[in-house]
Amino acid sequence: MYHLLMGIIECAAAGGSGIDGDVSIMAASISGYTFSSVCFHSANSNSDHEGFLLGEVRQEETVSISDTQISTAELLQVVEIHNHDPCAQLFSFYDYAGKVNEDNLNRILKDRRKSVIGWYRFRRNTQQQMSFREQIIHKQLTQLLGVPDLVFLLFSFISTANSSTHALEYVLFRPNRRYNQRITLTIPNLGNTSQQEYKVSSVPNTSLNYAKVIKEHGAEFFDKDGVMKDIRTIFQVYSALQDKVQAVCGEVEQSERVKEKIQEDVNKLKQQIALRKRKTAEEERRLREAQNAESHPTSEENSEPSETSLLSRVAFHAPSAPERPGTSPNPPSYSDLLSQEDSLLSSSSSPTSAALLPRPQAVGSPGHPTPGPLGMGLGLSLGLGLGLGDSSEYENLVSEAAHLPMVSASVLAQGRPAALSPDGDARGSQTS
Amino acid sequence: ILYCGFYLWKMNNMSPEVALHRISPELRPLLCSVVRNGRVGLDSTNCLRVTDLKTGCTSLTPGPCCDRFKLHIPYAGETLKWDIIFNARYPELPPDFIFGEDAEFLPEPSELPHLVQWDAGDPECLLQLVKELIQQYHQYQCQRLRESSRLLFEYDSLLEDPNYGRNMEIYAGRKNSWVGDRIVLVCPSFISIMSSLSQDTALDPGEDVALLSVSFEDAEATQVFPKLYLSPSIEHALGGSSALHIPAFPSGGCLIDYVPQVCQLLTNKVQYVIQGYHKRREYIAAFLSHFGMGVVEYDAEGFTKLTLLLMWKDFCFLVHVDLPLYFPRDQPTLTFQSVYHFTNSGQLYSQVQKSYPYSPRWDGNEMAKRAKAYFKSFIPQFQEGAFANGKL
Repeated sequence: MYHLLMGIIECAAAGGSGIDGDVSIMAASISGYTFSSVCFHSANSNSDHEGFLLGEVRQEETVSISDTQISTAELLQVVEIHNHDPCAQLFSFYDYAGKVNEDNLNRILKDRRKSVIGWYRFRRNTQQQMSFREQIIHKQLTQLLGVPDLVFLLFSFISTANSSTHALEYVLFRPNRRYNQRITLTIPNLGNTSQQEYKVSSVPNTSLNYAKVIKEHGAEFFDKDGVMKDIRTIFQVYSALQDKVQAVCGEVEQSERVKEKIQEDVNKLKQQIALRKRKTAEEERRLREAQNAESHPTSEENSEPSETSLLSRVAFHAPSAPERPGTSPNPPSYSDLLSQEDSLLSSSSSPTSAALLPRPQAVGSPGHPTPGPLGMGLGLSLGLGLGLGDSSEYENLVSEAAHLPMVSASVLAQGRPAALSPDGDARGSQTS
Repeated sequence: ILYCGFYLWKMNNMSPEVALHRISPELRPLLCSVVRNGRVGLDSTNCLRVTDLKTGCTSLTPGPCCDRFKLHIPYAGETLKWDIIFNARYPELPPDFIFGEDAEFLPEPSELPHLVQWDAGDPECLLQLVKELIQQYHQYQCQRLRESSRLLFEYDSLLEDPNYGRNMEIYAGRKNSWVGDRIVLVCPSFISIMSSLSQDTALDPGEDVALLSVSFEDAEATQVFPKLYLSPSIEHALGGSSALHIPAFPSGGCLIDYVPQVCQLLTNKVQYVIQGYHKRREYIAAFLSHFGMGVVEYDAEGFTKLTLLLMWKDFCFLVHVDLPLYFPRDQPTLTFQSVYHFTNSGQLYSQVQKSYPYSPRWDGNEMAKRAKAYFKSFIPQFQEGAFANGKL
């Protein structure tokens, strides 16, 4: 399933929606220093201790799209505790019956009242459960402060009988809901940090001293635009590297082209060599034949099972005669022809010139179709019993140096008659 | 009977003196009255218990400084375990409570006058507050009972009857536990009987109790388990637990019909016992008047035994009379004993007579007269037997 996370839309809302239905998940975090401050105040008191939690609540909406469903919107309510306000004594804002006195409450909170998101209580050696009075007070605070999802943080200190082990337990409740009343409280950067990066809190820094120092010494680190100098420097290095890479790219391109040109030349030369070798081989063969013809007058082309006569026969049955490279009043010289043929052969890879080559039907060939322009070479090679594999034969005609002499010789032999001019010099072999 | 009661009291309390010793001195009087005098609810044999004393002060504070504990309260056959939290440093402040598993129980503070006007100087304050809380708890359970219409009907019908209405404890069971609903009530006629019984016997109405507990395992009231709880002294007085069998709850029946049945049964039993007591007393009194100087000793409390020393023709003998529990239905056992003769085992020669002319319809006088007549007729036989089988 391909799950795509669309976007995270943040909307700051102090207090949140507080409805059971929509907001299903709540995440809470408390900064390390606030937590330790609360613990300090609590542990040092010789009785139960209580106070208020200040911070902010915001809602994050996550819209996810997956294959099976169109979209689901998830509302996550995030509670962040930035600060706390300890009460100097018990029953400071409520009476014996648990009734909250609003005047006292205001006197304690003053202008911090609007950033109250919860309250906390510390009691030693008791259960992690809201007590009778705490529940009553919580209901009233919810109403008075106008925070629908007011949270309650309960600290409990459990000591063993011999005071050897003390455990500080804390649970965050949201008692105004029917279900899922306990929320996990995370303390960022407290825990196993070896695999996590250091989380920066979004708590605004309101310290005047901090602002002053940063202003004084800031010029060493920041430039006039407020961007860190180091960043600019690094960016410059990056740009330089980019330029160099671009330049290198150009050079690489050029060298590639040169290489390509040279490769072409090399190929041409190779073909020329191949052609020349074929011609020489053919020459020798003709001479031999001529010699044989003198000693045995009867035709041997039909009976001699020599490879060359076989080839001649094959050549004779060529279905189509390749066209002449170009009719010209003056018969081209040998070298001209060679070069022409070379050019023919060199461009044998291209389908158009390859069609000029005759396509013999190889006798005794395994019957593989020879569809390509190099089919002749294929057939010949088979007839010669070179036993080349099927697939690589096309290449062999042009590039295989080992087989070239033999193959190209016969090719030359074949090509020769076609290339003959009507005058028919002694160059070509007579195929009758 | 008295010893029995005391022993049980001790068992239930588990040395409260030790617990009090660890409590912070300022809070001690409050806890004292709860533990020593505290009787809440119907089951007065089960006192309030205090466990798990802890402190809310720092661990460096020198003791005794315990200011929080668990209070065990018997209620409707269950035991409520409530945490009570004080602060030793501020003993004038009222306590806080955690109601254990009853997380939804939240009484209205205005219904708890001893909380609103908490007076730490009054040693009874905590006990009174606890009683008020239990009252609220009872109402809370009744509210919960409303979820089951069948049991609600049962409860309401009982409530209307003045006999039972005031002395009931309801426990509405939890949805996901095996504990069903339960109604515990005091057999009301018992109260009056108790007082009459206590005058005649040595039973203490304050210590003794008879409770009928009816448990409903399901809402349709198809599985109903009634149980009768009697304090041990009553049980003994009525002839032991084997003698008391209450009828099973009829399926499809109602409590309003069943409870009076049980109460009637109990009443009858008690009446019978009382009657028996009176009868025995009458019997003994009659024998006393008939045999006068011949009475050696008799049980002056339960009137269950009587020993006579009689003489017939210079032959002295003892007659031990044992009156059974269900006298006069069952006739007394007469044991004749010779004062001269011994058996081989060194005991005085005796003969037991269980059947002799007797009728339960005779009054004490008549029984005494007839007994006298019987003695006269039987003694020659006995004398012969004693001489024949016994050694001097």
